[in-house]
Amino acid sequence: MTSVLPTIRVNVLFFGRIRELAGVREEPQEIPVDATLADLFASYTRRFPKLAEFRGSLVASRNQEFAAWDTQLKPGDEIAFLPPVSGG
Amino acid sequence: MPDNPINDRLELVKSPIDFDGLVRFVRAEKDGAIVTFDGFVRNESHGRASEYLEYEAYEAMAVAKMREIAEYLHDKFAVHRVAIVHRLGRLEISETSVFIAVSAPHRAAAFDACRYAIDTLKKTVPIWKKEYFADGAVWADGELPPAPRSSKSAS
Repeated sequence: MTSVLPTIRVNVLFFGRIRELAGVREEPQEIPVDATLADLFASYTRRFPKLAEFRGSLVASRNQEFAAWDTQLKPGDEIAFLPPVSGG
Repeated sequence: MPDNPINDRLELVKSPIDFDGLVRFVRAEKDGAIVTFDGFVRNESHGRASEYLEYEAYEAMAVAKMREIAEYLHDKFAVHRVAIVHRLGRLEISETSVFIAVSAPHRAAAFDACRYAIDTLKKTVPIWKKEYFADGAVWADGELPPAPRSSKSAS
């Protein structure tokens, strides 16, 4: 038996041009227990290489608060990657 | 005593905004001024004729951020009530996308608070606009909301 790294499950949301690029609106995601927002985003750029171009022009949120990329995630967190906002 | 902010109206709607109702909502006998902001769809963007717009939002977070704006208005300006309503979905030229009404005993607070509310909404509330033209569509350039640089510095 190989040992299995412990993982947690978070829910990830996409909006605007990022949603169109990923083709995903919302999905649960298994990540390593010590993963940060940056790690989670990196896992998406591996899946959707074009996303990497947007890394510098996105902010991340955790549980509906803007969050730093080094934020460590917790089970059940609601994560979103937000392009520049343009309401009004 | 300031009103409980629960009396504010902070909403996302999918049908035309009832601005008369919002103005009536913020108006009370103790007030002397209401300032409103009516943001509506322009017929061009960067010199290209627009056909229509579509708005989408991270709805729960957008309402939470609108509530933060309203709470700030109560803290920093002597306002009575705040209404901030943003419409989502498809909007035609000249339709109102955002309406803000702020009441206060005196005009200066109402003007300052209303200006602060729309300026901050455009920077921090997670809403996105896609502009449709005769020959295609683009996501509007927006503003990147300020986020903490490090989780360690967060208090």
